[in-house]
Amino acid sequence: MEIVTAFSDGFISSLTPELVLFAGLLLVILIPNLGNSTFRIPSTGIRVPWLLGGKRFALTSDPRLPGYLTCLILAASFILTILSQASEASVTLIQSDSGMDLLKVDGFSRLFEMLFIGAILAAALASLDRLPTNKSEENDLDSLYNNRRQVDFYILLLTTALGMSIVALAQDLFILFIGLELASLSTYVLVAFQKESKAGSEAGVKYFIVGSVASAVGLYGLSLLYLWAGSLQFDELSAAWNAGAPALALVGLGMVLVGFGFKVSAVPFHFAAPDAYAGASSPVAGLLATASKAMGMLGLIRLLVVIAIPDGAEGSAVWLVTLAVLSAITMTWGNIAALGSDNPKRMLAYSSVAHAGYMLAALTAVGAWRWGHVAAPVGFAEAILGAIAFHLVVLVAFKMGAFLVLALLEMEGGASRLSSLAGLGRREPLLAVCMFIFMLSLAGVPPLAGFLSKFLLIAGIVKMSIGDLSTTVAQDGALSLGSLHWIWWFALLIFINSAISLFYYLRVVVVMFFDEAEDGRKQPLPKGFFIRVTIWGCAIATILFGIGGDALVRLCFAAVENLQL
Amino acid sequence: MGQNAPLKIKEREFILVGLFLILTAAIASLFPNIASPNPNGIIDWISIPLVGFPILSSIVLLAFASQEKASRRTKLDSPVRLACLAFSLVPLGISTALFFDWLAVIDWTNIGYNSYVIKHQYVWIESIGVSWHVGMDGLSFPMVWLTSILVPITIVMTWDEKNGSAYHPLLLLMGGSLIGVFVALDLFMFYVFWELTLIPMFFLILKWGGDERRYAAQKFFIYTFTASVIMLLGLVTLYFLQPIGTGAHYGELTGRTFDMTLLIDSARSGNLDGGTWLGIDMQKAIFLMLMLGFLVKLPAVPFHTWLPDAHVQAPTGGSMLLAGVMLKMGAYGMMRLPVAMFPDALMYYQDLIMIIGLVSLVWGSIVCLGQTNLKRMVAYSSVSHMGIILLGIASMQPIGYAAALFMMFAHGLISPMLFAVCGAFKHHYHSMEIGSMRGMAKWSPFLAVYMMFGWMASLGLPLLAGFVAELMVLLAYWPTYGWWILLPAFVLVITAAFYLWSIQRTIFEGGDEGQPPESLHGETPPDISGHENVAMFLLALLIVLFGVMPFIALDMMNSWSNNLFEMVFAQQGGA
Repeated sequence: MEIVTAFSDGFISSLTPELVLFAGLLLVILIPNLGNSTFRIPSTGIRVPWLLGGKRFALTSDPRLPGYLTCLILAASFILTILSQASEASVTLIQSDSGMDLLKVDGFSRLFEMLFIGAILAAALASLDRLPTNKSEENDLDSLYNNRRQVDFYILLLTTALGMSIVALAQDLFILFIGLELASLSTYVLVAFQKESKAGSEAGVKYFIVGSVASAVGLYGLSLLYLWAGSLQFDELSAAWNAGAPALALVGLGMVLVGFGFKVSAVPFHFAAPDAYAGASSPVAGLLATASKAMGMLGLIRLLVVIAIPDGAEGSAVWLVTLAVLSAITMTWGNIAALGSDNPKRMLAYSSVAHAGYMLAALTAVGAWRWGHVAAPVGFAEAILGAIAFHLVVLVAFKMGAFLVLALLEMEGGASRLSSLAGLGRREPLLAVCMFIFMLSLAGVPPLAGFLSKFLLIAGIVKMSIGDLSTTVAQDGALSLGSLHWIWWFALLIFINSAISLFYYLRVVVVMFFDEAEDGRKQPLPKGFFIRVTIWGCAIATILFGIGGDALVRLCFAAVENLQL
Repeated sequence: MGQNAPLKIKEREFILVGLFLILTAAIASLFPNIASPNPNGIIDWISIPLVGFPILSSIVLLAFASQEKASRRTKLDSPVRLACLAFSLVPLGISTALFFDWLAVIDWTNIGYNSYVIKHQYVWIESIGVSWHVGMDGLSFPMVWLTSILVPITIVMTWDEKNGSAYHPLLLLMGGSLIGVFVALDLFMFYVFWELTLIPMFFLILKWGGDERRYAAQKFFIYTFTASVIMLLGLVTLYFLQPIGTGAHYGELTGRTFDMTLLIDSARSGNLDGGTWLGIDMQKAIFLMLMLGFLVKLPAVPFHTWLPDAHVQAPTGGSMLLAGVMLKMGAYGMMRLPVAMFPDALMYYQDLIMIIGLVSLVWGSIVCLGQTNLKRMVAYSSVSHMGIILLGIASMQPIGYAAALFMMFAHGLISPMLFAVCGAFKHHYHSMEIGSMRGMAKWSPFLAVYMMFGWMASLGLPLLAGFVAELMVLLAYWPTYGWWILLPAFVLVITAAFYLWSIQRTIFEGGDEGQPPESLHGETPPDISGHENVAMFLLALLIVLFGVMPFIALDMMNSWSNNLFEMVFAQQGGA
C-alpha cells in the first residue's frame, strides 16, 4: 500500500478522476460566463480584455454548451476510473499531515466511483434531451426557463458526482459525511428542479425536509461515536468496537443508520422516496434510485461491516436482528405498495424500496457470519458483499433504463399513469422491448443481469446459512433445514417477494403491448437521440451482464477483497 | 424521380444489426472451441444447431419484422413464416440425423445413466462454477426430437395466423428454448432455459389469445414463476451443500459446481450402500422444493388451475407447444434431478406422489367430462394424463419409468393433435362449444375424422401411441400397489366409455335437419384447409407409427430406466 500525504507528490496522479470532475466543475461554472468584457486600468484609457462578463461570445452563450461539456467531463472521469480499475490494483492511502487517513483509492472505492459516475453520465446524457434547449425565435417561457437554467442543472450533477466520489473514497466517517451532504444537497435541488410543476416543488420540499432531518440525526450519531471513541477513523472505530461497544456507541450507530437508511430508502425512512421520484424528472429519479441508493448502501457497508463487526466475538454484531426485521419489512412493504400504485414512477420507487430490502437481507447475512452460529471460513462475507456490489452496478443498467423510457414519455407530456405506457409496443416496438427487458430484469428473470445479481445475493445468503456444514456433511440424517442458520429463510422471503413483484412488472408489459394508446399519444414519440442511445446502451448492458457477467462478477469480488475483512 | 426514391435505411436498422452483431460476438466468444469434437469424437451438434440457431434466428426475425410499419408488416408475413419453417427444419434434420447415425454413430440404447455420448462443455461463468454444458441421453433425446418435430408441424398448422411476422418467430424461439431445457446439463443453464420458455409463451397468449388472454397470460407467468423460484432456492441450497471440489468446472470463488453430472455423481456416491446423501431430513426438504417447481409445471392437482385458463386463451400454436412439450418439462425435471439424487426421499414420498397422480387422473377425468368448452375439456384431459406419468414415477419400477417416459412422448404427439383439432374447429366454426359440433361429420368430414382419431388416441386405443404407455403404467402399478390397480384401470375404462358416447352424440348425431351451427349465422361450415390437413395428417401418422412400432423410442427409454435402477436404486441396498 502506497501512502501519500495530501497535496504532495502522487496526490494528483492517484486522484485523477476526481480532479477531472473538480476541474470540470470549475470549467462549467466559468465558461458560460466568458464574454467580451474589458477592464480599464484606472486613470488610463487602456482597456484590457477581462473576459468575465459582458456580452457573451456566440459559443459560450450557447445554452447547449454546459450539457455537452458536462457529458464530456463525466465521460472522461468515467473512463479514467475504468482505466484505474483495469490497471494493477494498487492501493493508495491519502493521509493528512498529521497522519490521519483521509481517502483510500482501491478497487472497492473505484468500483463504486465507476458506478456513481456511470449513472450520473447516463442521467446527464438523457437530460440533454429531457431538459431541451431552445434556439428558436419563439421565446415562450418554458424554453426560456430551460435555457437559463441549463448551467445550474449540470453543475448540480457534477457536484453530485464529486460528493459521491468522496463517499466512495472516504476513510473517515466525517469525510464520508461531507461527501454525503455534498451529494445530498445537490440532489435535493435536482429533485425540485421542475419548479413550474406542483409535484416538483412538493417533491423537493418533502425530500429536503425528510432528508435533512435524517442527516441531522446521522450527524448527531456521529458526534456520539466521536464522544465514545475519540476518533472517526474507520480503523480506530473498528478497533474500539472490537474492544467492546457500550450503549453510547450503540445509540450513535443507530442514529447514523437512520441517515443511511434514508438514502437506501429502507422502511421506515422511505416515505419521501415515492413522492420524490414522482416529482423529479425521470433521469433525476433514476439517479436517486441507482447512484444515491448505492451511496447509502456503501455507507451501510462501511459502517456495519467495516466498523461494527468485531472479530468473532459471539453476539457482538448487535445490529443483526434489527437489520433482519428491517429488511423483511422493507422488501415486503415495498412490493405490496408497488402492487397498488398506478403511477409508473411511484411503482419504480417502491420497487426500489423492495430492492433495498433484498440488499439489507444480504447485509444481515454478513452479520450472521460473525454471529457465532456459523463458523466463519474466509471468503463468506466477500461472497455476499461482492453480490451486493454486483447488484448495485447492474441496477444502474436496468433501473436507470426504465426511468429513461419514462423520461421519453414525459417529454410528450407526463408519465404519471400506467396508461401513459399504453400502446408503446405499437408506437415504438424497440423501445417497448427495451422496457420489457428492464422490467423482466428487475423481476429477476433469466438470462438478464437482474437475475444473475439476485441469484448471487441468494447464493451468498444460502452459503452463509449453510456455513461449513457441507464439509462435514452428516450421513446419519442429522442435517435438516433446521440445522441451517435462520438467515436461510430470508432467501425464501426474497424469492416469494420476487414472485409478488413479477405481478406489477408484468402489468407494465401487458399495458405496453396490449392496450391501445391513449388519445393524444398516437403520434410517434418525440425525437431524442441521446436518450435513445442511452436506453439502448442500458438494454445491451442488461443482457450482456446477464449472459456474460463473469468479468464483472470477478471485478466486484476482487473489489470487496480490498475491504480486508 | 420522386417516385423511385432510393430505399431509405433507417439508422435504427443499423443499430439493430450492430446490436445483434455485438450479442452474437459475445455469445460466440463464450464458446471458442465450438467446432472441436468432444472426447468421443463427435462434433457439437447441440449448442448451435439445436439451441442457438433457432433462438438467434427468431430474435433476428422478430427484430426486423417489428421495425416495419403495420401496413408493410403484413407483406412480411409470408417470407417470415417461410423462413421460420425452413429454420425449424434445421433442428429437426439434425436430431433425426443423430438418431439414424448419419452424423455420428451413437448407440442410443446403450448409454449408461449419467453418461452422455454426445456431450459438450464450455466455460461460462467460471467464478461460480457455471458452464455451458449440453448433452443428450435416452431421457432427453426423445423430448428433443419431439420438440424439433412439433415446431414445424405447429408452424404449418397455424400457417395463416394473423401478425404472422411475429407469431411464427415466437414459435421458433419457443422451440429453441424448450430444446435448451432438455439438453442442459448444468443447473444454472437449466434454470435459464426453464424461465426463458415462459417469455415466448407469455407473448403468444397475450397477443394472439382469446378474450380473457390478459388474465390467463399473467396467471400463467406468475404461477409457474413462483413455483420455479422456489425450485431455484432448492437448487442453490443443494449447490452449497455439495462437497467442495476442485476441478475445471468448480467455481473459483465458491468451490462448488452447477454441473448436473458432477452433482449426480456425488449424490450417487453418497447414496451407495444404504447411505443417505445429505441426510434424510435435508433430502426431504430439497426434494419437496424441487418437486414443487416440477409439479406446478406438470401440472398436478392441486396446482393445475393455471393450465385450463392458459390453454383456453392460448392460440392454437401456443396450446400445441404448451401441451405437447412444455408440460413435459415438469416430468423431465423430476426424472433428471430429484429422482436421481434423492432416492430415499422419493421412497418416503412415494405414496404421496402416487396419491397426487391418482387424484390428478380422477379429478382431471371427472372435470373433463363436465366441460362444455372443447378446449377446456382437452386441457383437463392433459391433467389426467400427467397424473398417469406421476403414477409411473411412484411405482418405482423400471417399467414404470419407461412407461412415464413413453407417456410423455405419446402425449406430446396426441395432445397437439387434439389442440390442432380445437384450433381448426375454432377457426372454421367460430365457437368452442361442444354443443355446436352437432352434425360436424356431415359438414366437415376431415375435421370429424381427425377429432375422432385424436380422442381415440387420447383414451388409449390399441395400436395408437397412448395405449402402450397406459398399459405399461398399469403393468408397473401392479407389483407396487397390488389391487389398488383397479382404481386407475376403472377410471380409464369409464372415461373411455364416456368419451365414446359423447363423441357419438356430438359429432355424428344431429345435423340431419340441415341446420348449420348457430355460431356460423347460417353459413355453410367449411372443412379444414389444406395446411391444417397436412399438419394433422403428419401428427396422426406419427401417432400410428409409435403405436405400431413403439420400440423405436421405447428401447432407449427402457435402457435409460434400467440404468437408473441399477445405478440409483439397486445399489441402495434397501430398494
